[in-house]
Amino acid sequence: MHYLFILLPILIGLIAYIAKNRFSKPLLLIFQFIYLVFAFLSFLQIKNSGPQIIDMGNVPNGFAISLYVDNISAAFVLLTALIYFFLIIYAYNHDYFEPQFFFPFLSLEGLITGLFLSGDLFNLFIFLEVSTVIVSILIMYNKKEQAVYDGMIYFFVNVLGSSFFLFGIGFIYKLFGVLDIRSLSKAMEIFTLNDSVYVPFALMMVTVSLKTAISPLFSWLPKAHGTPSAPPVISAVLSGLYIKSGLYLFIRISAMYSPAVQMDTFFFYLGFATAIIGAVMSFSQTDIKLILSYSTVSQVGLIFMGLNMNSEIAFYGSVFHIFNHAIFKTALFLAAGLLTKYYKTRNIHEMNSVLKNFPLIGYSIIFSILGITGAPFFNGSISKYMIAHGTDNLFATLLLNIVNLGTILIFVKFSVILFGNNTWGKEKIKDRLSQYSVLIVSSLALLSGLFGRRVTEFLFDYPLTVDSAEYLQKGFVYVLMGLAGIALYKKVIQQNKWLFKLTQIELTFNGIITFLTGYFLLLLTILYIR
Amino acid sequence: MDFISGETVGIILFFIGLFGLMTKKNILKTIMSISILQSGIYLFFIADDLPNNSIPPIGETLEKPVADPVPQALMITAIVIGLGITAIGLTMFIHYKKRYGISFWSRNRSEERSDQ
Repeated sequence: MHYLFILLPILIGLIAYIAKNRFSKPLLLIFQFIYLVFAFLSFLQIKNSGPQIIDMGNVPNGFAISLYVDNISAAFVLLTALIYFFLIIYAYNHDYFEPQFFFPFLSLEGLITGLFLSGDLFNLFIFLEVSTVIVSILIMYNKKEQAVYDGMIYFFVNVLGSSFFLFGIGFIYKLFGVLDIRSLSKAMEIFTLNDSVYVPFALMMVTVSLKTAISPLFSWLPKAHGTPSAPPVISAVLSGLYIKSGLYLFIRISAMYSPAVQMDTFFFYLGFATAIIGAVMSFSQTDIKLILSYSTVSQVGLIFMGLNMNSEIAFYGSVFHIFNHAIFKTALFLAAGLLTKYYKTRNIHEMNSVLKNFPLIGYSIIFSILGITGAPFFNGSISKYMIAHGTDNLFATLLLNIVNLGTILIFVKFSVILFGNNTWGKEKIKDRLSQYSVLIVSSLALLSGLFGRRVTEFLFDYPLTVDSAEYLQKGFVYVLMGLAGIALYKKVIQQNKWLFKLTQIELTFNGIITFLTGYFLLLLTILYIR
Repeated sequence: MDFISGETVGIILFFIGLFGLMTKKNILKTIMSISILQSGIYLFFIADDLPNNSIPPIGETLEKPVADPVPQALMITAIVIGLGITAIGLTMFIHYKKRYGISFWSRNRSEERSDQ
C-alpha cells in the first residue's frame, strides 16, 4: 500500500492541474487531509507490526525494486504529510497558488516521500534527479530578479551531485551485484576487502553531503532556499522538509557502509565546522530569508554532530532535532514570507514592532525562536539535551555549547524585528488563514516540547529519561547564554564592519564545482591514509 | 590492449566532464560537460559484467554466456533522465540568455535587458 504514498500526490496534483476549476483547491486540501490520516494510520501499523518490505512485481526479495518502511521512515512520511497540510492551508488564498503551481508542488511531496521510503539505490538516484528538476522549477517559479540564475546554479550543481551518486552505484554494482540497501549492508559484513568500497563511499558521500549542505558544499543552499522571489511555501518546504531527505540519506547510507567504513570523527568535526560557518554567515546577513537559510546550514551541522557521536541517545536526539527543525523552520519561513509581503522589504532593519502590528505572527516567531534556541519546555531543548547526553567528553560538550551560542546570536539579531518603533502604515490585511496556519505550526514546537518524552517514545520507540535536576540546570545555562548572546551581539557584532564584508563573499559556479571535487579528493585521501 | 576497456574509458570521460565543469565559464559548455560526464557513467555501467563473445539475453535457449541485463535496464532509464536534464538545462539557458543577453556564469550582470 505504501507506494500509493508516492504515487497519489503526483496524480492528484496532475488532476488538479488539468481540471483548472474552482474544485481544484478544495480537492487538494481534502486530499492532503486524507493523506495525513492515512500516513498516521500507516505509522501506527508499522509501529505495531515492525519493519515492512514491499517488493514490486513477482521478483524475489533483494533483487526486486522494494520499498522499505520502518519506524523512522514512517515517522518521516508522517512529518511530510503534516507539514504539507499546513502549507496548503497557508497558501490557500495566495496569488501564486494556482493550477500551474499544484502539479510541481504536490509532485515534490510524492518525491520526498519516495526518498524516505525507497529501499533501493537506483530508485534513490531517480528520486534525487527528478526532485532536483522539480525543485529548480519551483525556485524559478516567478522568474523574477535572481530566481532564474539561482535556479540554474541549484539545478546544475545538484545534477552533478546525483551523477556522482550514480557513479558510486556503478562501483557498488560491480562489486556486489545487488542494489538493495539491506542486502548490501549484509554483504558488507562478510566482505573483507574494505579498500575497494572506499571509492563508492566517497562518491556517494559527496552527493549526500551536497544534499545536506555540509561545509564546504553549502554555497547552493542560501541561493535556493533564500531566493528573493520564490513563494514562501517553497522556501519552507525546501528548508523544512527537502533538506531532511539528505539527512535521512546520510543515516541510511552511512548505516549501509558502517561494517566497512567508519568516519564518525571526521563527520563530527565537519558538522561542527558547518555549524560555525553557517552561524557566522547567518548573523552577518540582513536579508530575512538569507538569515533563515544560513541558520538552516548551522542547524544541519548540529544534527550532523549528533548523528556521528556514536551513541544511541545522541542519534535519536538528532532524529528528533530533524523533526523539531522541520517544525520551527517551516514556521519561521512562512512568517518571513508574510512579513516580506506586508512590509514590502526583506531587510530586517526595516521591519519593526511585528508583535504590535501582527500579534499572531509575532507569537509564532517567538515560539519558533524559543524552539530553535532550545529554551526550556520547547522541543529544541529536549533534542539538544539528548544530543548533549551522547558524549562525556568535555571538549565535545564545549563544541556543542559554542554551536548553541551561535544559534542564540542569530536569533538575537532576528528578534529585533519584534520590537522597535512602528513605521508600518496601516493597511488592510486579509490573510487570517495563513496567520493561523503559521501559529498552529509554531505552537507544535511548544506542544512537542512539553510532551517531549511521550513524543520521542511514540515516534521512535525510544524511552527517554530526563533528569529533572539536570534539565533545570540546562535551563539555567540557557538563560545565561541568552544574556551572553544579547551582550555579545550589542557590544561586538553590531559594531563590526568586517562582518558585513562576509555577506559579499560568494562562490561562482565553477568555484562550487571545484570545492565539490576537492571534497571528493579529501574524502578519498582521508580514507586511504588512515 | 586490455587497458582500453569500457570501464577505464568511462572513468576518463567522467573526469574530462568534471574538468570542463570546473574550468569553463560558458553555460553551454557546462551543459556539454554534464553530458560528457554522464556518457562516461553510462559506458562504465554497460561495460560491467560483459564477458567476451557474450550475446544479448534474449530467447529461451542460450548457449553462449549472456550479458548482464540489469545495468543495461538501469542505463536506459538513466539515459532518458539525462536527456530530460539536458533539455531542461537548455531551456533554462535560453531563458537566461534572452533575459540578460549573456551566456556565461556571472552574478555581476548589468541591468536586465529591456529590449525583449
